[in-house]
Amino acid sequence: MKVAENIPLLDNGNKDCIVVTNLKKQYGKEKAYVLNGISFTVKYGTVFGFLGPNGAGKTTTLKILTSLLNPSSGSVYIFGKDLFKKQSEIKRKIGVVSQNPSFEANLTVERSLDLYGLLWGLSDRRARKDKVKEILKTFDLESIKNSKNDELSIGQRRRVQLAREFMHDMDLLFLDEPTVGLDPSARRMLLDYIKKHVMSGLTVFFTTHIMEEAEYLCDEIAIIDRGKIIAFDTPMGLKQKYGGMNKTIEITFKDTLNEPFLDILRNIIKGSKKDDKGLNGNVNNSISEINLKGGNTIRIKVDNTEKVISEIFQVVPKNGMEIENISVDSPSLEEIFLSVVSNSKDNSNSGV
Amino acid sequence: MKSIAKYVFTSRILLLLYRNLFAAIDKMFLIWQILLPVFQIYIMGYAYSALIGDQGISVGAISISYVSFLTAGMMAFNVMQGSQIAGTIFWNDKRNGMFQQILAMPFNKIQYVIANLVTLIIIGLTSATAIILIGLPTIFQDINISLWSMSYTIFALVAGSVFFGSFTIILSTKMKSSETYNVFSNGLFIFFIFVSSVFYPAEGLPQPLSTAFYFNPLTYIADITRAGIFSQIDTFTNLEVLVLTLFAVGAFVIATRAMVKLQI
Repeated sequence: MKVAENIPLLDNGNKDCIVVTNLKKQYGKEKAYVLNGISFTVKYGTVFGFLGPNGAGKTTTLKILTSLLNPSSGSVYIFGKDLFKKQSEIKRKIGVVSQNPSFEANLTVERSLDLYGLLWGLSDRRARKDKVKEILKTFDLESIKNSKNDELSIGQRRRVQLAREFMHDMDLLFLDEPTVGLDPSARRMLLDYIKKHVMSGLTVFFTTHIMEEAEYLCDEIAIIDRGKIIAFDTPMGLKQKYGGMNKTIEITFKDTLNEPFLDILRNIIKGSKKDDKGLNGNVNNSISEINLKGGNTIRIKVDNTEKVISEIFQVVPKNGMEIENISVDSPSLEEIFLSVVSNSKDNSNSGV
Repeated sequence: MKSIAKYVFTSRILLLLYRNLFAAIDKMFLIWQILLPVFQIYIMGYAYSALIGDQGISVGAISISYVSFLTAGMMAFNVMQGSQIAGTIFWNDKRNGMFQQILAMPFNKIQYVIANLVTLIIIGLTSATAIILIGLPTIFQDINISLWSMSYTIFALVAGSVFFGSFTIILSTKMKSSETYNVFSNGLFIFFIFVSSVFYPAEGLPQPLSTAFYFNPLTYIADITRAGIFSQIDTFTNLEVLVLTLFAVGAFVIATRAMVKLQI
């Protein structure tokens, strides 16, 4: 394994909890790179969302960051220390909730929390007991504390797995799709619990497929596809950067729309399409036509929102129409994600 | 600084050992570990004794009853049988996600392997003690143990646990599923049991079979255990100690390397 010589340490005032530089992973010499030179930083006391489609390289990255896997090349610094040289020291300060369930089948929930605390070095019996009590209450596990882990439902087991990780103090928490199998209230409780810990200094590395969660929780988001990071920003930044093309305008007219007027509107959109450039300068073909909703409402997805609205405002009075209501919706993070990934695929297929 | 690192390393092994003993092992397995040898000593021992007749079996310079011979052999057999635990712990940990979770915690693969082997040593020594106590009425007339000779027996049980524990760990890391692992380990263990001096002495067998016995570490474990219990330590016993040490160290090194190389 080659470790980069240029140590990206502390030149930003030690604000970075994780610094990943040019990380590559290849499972066999002849095989393609699963990670192809990714670089990113995670600031202390923030939630970093790591999103990507299945097989994009999320879990491989997570396994490398949690020392379960060695990279082919590149460097990883956590808490300002080289992960591959100070593994043991770093591991003492991190928590990991992996995507796959993990449990001690023969133990009760209460006993497994206690054992986990002990394994993490919480040797004082009384302190451990108090901590178990607190965790059972916080994660609503009191009613199943005497049940054995292999008797629990998938969701309950997941809750125990998550709760268990808070038996020990940590500075950095890796969460790999933590809410899979949880009901909505448990999910919200978990997200709020994490937020609370982040406010008191915890840093979280978070992978998920649920975009609402990423939007709710993450301070920064990186989107990975085919081993490369294709977008990196705050949720708002991503929307501003990639969301312009997909804004939805909904206009409700006072009167029922007629075909000649719709043709005029279609021409306006057609005109805006000519200038429309998607990501990386490609012509964006994803803009939909006018969708009629009822007899007097239209929905249009456009890139150049302001231009289209101003042109519509000009033609409306000329055609004896009157607008009752107009609204512009920003795209959701899910739409941004789909668009960014789809464009990345198009680019790689066309050899860009 | 070095002593702190040593303390941390040892304490982590102890934590994993505690987990193995109180969380990872099925209690029924432990009960079976004692019941099976007892059944073999009292049923098989007396049944074969009736077949063999009154003639004793030579161990070193003395002659002992077949039941006594078998009781000592069962202690060695039990060490091998108990080593299945190392494989079972590993497969259960993999199936239940605990292997990955433990390695994401402040533990490493070497500590995991050592903790599993120490678990086997404890189980091996405990069940051997139980067997000798339960089998005492059968070996009472032949037993002749001293502190010095007992150290040979303990060595055989410890080195045997390390060898067979490492062997099952190597098998576990190479097999793709627990089913394949079970088929292989059961098949190989049958070979180990019957081509060894657990049930019968190597002397007097056809030459090729007798030679094959000495390619099997279980023969050395059984021979040294017997030599210890009946105080029959001689040059050949010491040579067997050396060979068993080589088997145990070799297997441990290969098991550790196999575990370190294992992709998670």
